[in-house]
Amino acid sequence: MVVLRAGLCPGLTEEMIQLLRANGIRTVVDFVSSDLEDVAQKCSLSYKALVAVRRVLLAQFSAFPTNGADLYEELKSSTAILPTGSPSLDQLLDSGLYTGEMMELMGAPGSGKTQVCLGIAASVSLGLKQHLLFLDSTGGFTASRLYQMLRAQAEAEEEQLEALQRIQVVRVFNIYEMLKALQELRDRLSQQVVSSTGPLKMVVIDSVSAVIYPLLGGKQSEGLAIMMQLARELKTLAREFSLAVVVSVTAPCPSCAGACHGIQVELDVGYGDAQEPGPVTPPQGL
Amino acid sequence: MESSQFSESFKSSLKNLEPYLFAEEGSPVHGDVIEFHGAEGTGKTEMLYHLMARCIIPKSGGGLEVEVMFIDTDYHFDMLRLVTILENRLVQRTEEMIKQCLGRLFLVNCNSSTQLLLTLYSLENMFCTHPSLCLLILDSLSAFYWIDRSNGGESLNLQEMNLKKCANFLEKLVREHHLVLFATTQTLMQKSTNSAESFFPSKLQPEADTDYRPYLCKSWQQMVTHRIFFSKQCSSGNSKGFTVISCHLKRNHVVKRSFSVAECGVQF
Repeated sequence: MVVLRAGLCPGLTEEMIQLLRANGIRTVVDFVSSDLEDVAQKCSLSYKALVAVRRVLLAQFSAFPTNGADLYEELKSSTAILPTGSPSLDQLLDSGLYTGEMMELMGAPGSGKTQVCLGIAASVSLGLKQHLLFLDSTGGFTASRLYQMLRAQAEAEEEQLEALQRIQVVRVFNIYEMLKALQELRDRLSQQVVSSTGPLKMVVIDSVSAVIYPLLGGKQSEGLAIMMQLARELKTLAREFSLAVVVSVTAPCPSCAGACHGIQVELDVGYGDAQEPGPVTPPQGL
Repeated sequence: MESSQFSESFKSSLKNLEPYLFAEEGSPVHGDVIEFHGAEGTGKTEMLYHLMARCIIPKSGGGLEVEVMFIDTDYHFDMLRLVTILENRLVQRTEEMIKQCLGRLFLVNCNSSTQLLLTLYSLENMFCTHPSLCLLILDSLSAFYWIDRSNGGESLNLQEMNLKKCANFLEKLVREHHLVLFATTQTLMQKSTNSAESFFPSKLQPEADTDYRPYLCKSWQQMVTHRIFFSKQCSSGNSKGFTVISCHLKRNHVVKRSFSVAECGVQF
C-alpha cells in the first residue's frame, strides 16, 4: 500500500494531495481505481493533469509484460545447471540444480538432508568454484564435516581452503533472522556488490521447517502469511538473480510412504560424500 | 459500442481450444471466465501449458495462432517446460519456429495483490493495441490469500478489497475486449465437516470427492462461468492419472474426463 505524497511522481503536488485526501483518496490504489472525471469535478482539479498522473503512477507501480521469445532468449543465456556431486541425484534432477529454480529436500530427522546439503555445498564450491550462501537454522552445519568431504575430493590443501572460503554461512534461528538475511542478500545482489565474494550462484537453507513450524497451528493465519512471504521471497530471489535454491524440510511424511510415485535413488552417506552404491532404481509407481 | 463489435469480428474463435475440457459443445466463447480449482500437483498448470501451446502454435501447425497474456503470481511459470511441450508438438522443430510461437506469448509477474491490480489497469492499453490477444491466464488468483488476510486485520472488507477490485476489473477487461479468462485457485482449506451443502449435483456425488468451499470474494464467484475441478488419482493402475470435472455454471451441465501428463504435455 503506497500512500500518495508529494514528489512520488512528477505532476503530483502537495496541493493536489490535500484536495484528493479531502475526498477520501489517500493511496495509489485509491487514485488509479477512481473515476477521474468524477474526481476532477469534486476536487476541481484539471482532468488532464489527473490522467497524466494516473499514467505515471501505473507505469511506476505495475509490472511490465515481457514477450515470450525475449524471455526465452534471456533464459538460454542466464540458466546454468549446477551438478550436485552425486551422479544419481543429478540424473533425478535432469543433470543438476537449475538456476532460477528451487528444490526441496524432505524427510524425517536423520534421513540425510543435512548431509545432502553439505555434499551439494562441497561440490558447488570445490568442483564448480562457485560461491554460495548457507543459511543454517538448526545448528546442523558443521565445518569439520564439510572439510572432511572436501578433503575426500581434493588433494591440495590450498584448494580445500579456497573452497571453504567460497561458502558463506549465516546462522539464523528464527524466521525474522532468516528474512533479514535474505533481505541483506537481495540488497547485496541488487547493488552488485561483488567485493571479495564472487557472483553468487546458490542459496542452501537447512532447514526451513525449523523456523516455520513454531509459527503454525491455532486459528491464526499470520503464520501462514509469513510462510508464504518466505516462499515468495525465495522464489523471486531465485528468478531475479538466477540462483539455485535448495531448502530442506523436516517431515515424517507418512502419506508419502505409499503415495509418492516419484523416482527413487539411493544415497549412501559415507566418509567422503553422499555416494550412491548401486545402479539407479527404476521408476516406481507411475 | 460500434468499435467493440468491430473488434469482435476480428477475434478468432476459441471453440477448438480444447473441447474435452468443457461440458458444452462450442465452449469457450469470448467473455467466458473459467476457474481451475484443485490442490497442488493436480495438473492445473500443466493444463495451462497445454492451452497456451494450442494458442501460440501457428494455424499451419494445427494451432489457433492467437496471442496469450499470462499473469504469473506464484513465480510458477516454467518456460523450459513450455518449450519442451512445443518441441514435442511442432512438426517443424526449428529454433526459429519456437521463437515465432513464443512471440505470441506475453508474461508478467506480480508480487502482491496491489501490484496485480495496478498491472491489470495498465494492461488495458495492451489489449486495445493487440486485437489478436484473446486469452488471459491468471495463475493463480489465490496466491495472495493468506498475505491479504493477514494485512487486512480484522476487517473482512479490507482483507478482500484488492481482490475484489481485481475481480471487478477483470470482468470489465473480459467483457470489453472479448477475452476468455482462465484463472487457477488452489484448494487452501481443509475439508469442511459440514458436507450437507455440496456443490455438486447429486448424480455426481459419489465420484466427486472434491469438497469445494468457495473462499475468494463474492465478486469473483459471481463472474465465473465454468468451474473445472482437478484431482489426481493415487491408484497406480490407471494410466490416466488426472481427472477433471467440468461444470457449466449457468446451465448446470457437468462432465467428467480423465487425462494423463507426459513429456509432450496433457493428453486426453
